[in-house]
Amino acid sequence: MGKAKSSSRKSALLQRNRDPQHGLKVTVGIIIALLFLIPIIWMLFVSLKPDGYSTTNPLDWFMPPYTFENYTNIIEDTLILRWVWNSLIVGVITTILTLIITALAAFAISQMKFRFKKIIFVFFLLGLMIPGEATIIPLYEIVKNLGLIDSYAGLILPMIASPLGVIILKSFFDGVPKEIIESAVMDGCSHFKLFYKIVLPLAKPALAAIAIFTFIGSWNNFLWPYLSILSETLYTLPVGLPVFNSAYSQAYVLPMTANAVASIPVIIVFLIFEKQIVKGISFTGIKG
Amino acid sequence: MKAIPFLLPFFIAYLIFTIFPIFKGLEMSLYDWSLVRKLDFVGLENYKEMFTDPHFWRTLWNTTLFVILTTPTMVILALGLALFANMRTRLQTFLRSAYFLPSILSVAVISFIIIFMLQPYSGFVNTILHTIGIETELFWLTDKVLAWITIVVVTLWWTVGFNMVLFLAGLQDIPESLYEASEIDGASRWEQFRHITLPQLMPIGRVILLLQILASYKVFAQILLITGGGPGGATRPLIQYIYEVGFRQNNLGYAATMSYALFFILLILSIIQLKAQRTEES
Repeated sequence: MGKAKSSSRKSALLQRNRDPQHGLKVTVGIIIALLFLIPIIWMLFVSLKPDGYSTTNPLDWFMPPYTFENYTNIIEDTLILRWVWNSLIVGVITTILTLIITALAAFAISQMKFRFKKIIFVFFLLGLMIPGEATIIPLYEIVKNLGLIDSYAGLILPMIASPLGVIILKSFFDGVPKEIIESAVMDGCSHFKLFYKIVLPLAKPALAAIAIFTFIGSWNNFLWPYLSILSETLYTLPVGLPVFNSAYSQAYVLPMTANAVASIPVIIVFLIFEKQIVKGISFTGIKG
Repeated sequence: MKAIPFLLPFFIAYLIFTIFPIFKGLEMSLYDWSLVRKLDFVGLENYKEMFTDPHFWRTLWNTTLFVILTTPTMVILALGLALFANMRTRLQTFLRSAYFLPSILSVAVISFIIIFMLQPYSGFVNTILHTIGIETELFWLTDKVLAWITIVVVTLWWTVGFNMVLFLAGLQDIPESLYEASEIDGASRWEQFRHITLPQLMPIGRVILLLQILASYKVFAQILLITGGGPGGATRPLIQYIYEVGFRQNNLGYAATMSYALFFILLILSIIQLKAQRTEES
């Protein structure tokens, strides 16, 4: 592995030396990167301006003086922190429940023998072809009849049965060496012990990928919370933020501070876990 | 049956929230059904209404136009960024992070950054245009063409990161030996790109294309937030219309009927996608 890597780096170096346009290409790449970042950087700088600040010189936005007063105002006087908290709670619980139920189901399908196994698996696969957006109206009716509209449970429970999660974990569990499982069964290991002591720890990369996806999906989910949540105190960030921002049109500072408060936590998480996230996408994207 | 406790939690959630809505939707589409309760059985009336409803066709067209405008641009941009992000440079991590960063932001955040940047008179973009001598005041969100450009560009900026990463994975799977062999044969870099890189990326490219079409048919949030479907309904997508019929006009029955139409479009597309992936794997 290490050897392959170093040899490919060597040949890549050779290639770089032979590409006369390398410098130009890197420059274009950097310019595009800056274009991608400008709106985010602008948001962060605007949030540091005194409340009510406006300018017609675009460069002025980035110049001092800076103040953190807006952050105190946003955090103390609005519900935005509360909405961050709601999004966080919903995201974390959705992720944990998704992992538990998909892993259990995938384990049964991968490692246990029972009747109608094939049919049940195909039945689960069907879910891949059912887009949530197209069943959202009847889903609303069902959740309403269960009395779960305007509650955390109503936000979380409809999102946890992920067929993609089952498929990814099943293919991962299938790859666990037969000898490990046979020797565990010989030792009198129960199915449940086999599951959480042996198979689950081996599936960590797949679990991490599913966790990252489920969490980002939940964190950004707009349509379902938009329909099912009515009280301001239960809003998630994507639903609450527009309500707050719409009150402003030409006043830039407070809305951008609100956006920054909503974004800084995920940006930090992203910068810490960048490698895992990128790996997770290629993993689930190709398998899925 | 030892498997039951393992299967049951997923099975129940799946049955109630994924499978049951399909049948519930069918039932609702055959009724007059308000937000509060089921009213009268109307048979196929809702379906008849749908086929003659100009708003349905208009919004379905808008959604299709969105798919047509964003899909090819998305695939090309994603490939281009993946090539940049795959270059051997000390800035590699920076480039990858920068291209991907917008993808992790909430749709609410990106929408409102854009709304505020595009304000007429004092917005960041227009003041830049003024500074470089373009004095025309552009009303980005109230002009039909500009509103569409905005929606497309924002969508590309916000979501291209995921597709770029998929292409990146594809690029890294191309065996180095192919390039080495072609170098011995004296191939130019452009020839290498055309005859090695592109064909090798075809499989993942096709997956991205289909996933992209599927995802774009579900467009809703960024359009609702940025243009509200305007000006004059020019950018309103089908899901927004379904939402308005159901929740503003208090007509869940008809909303469910149109959801069924969307369901069938997406179903056909995802069957095509699964078929394509199947042939890819074998």
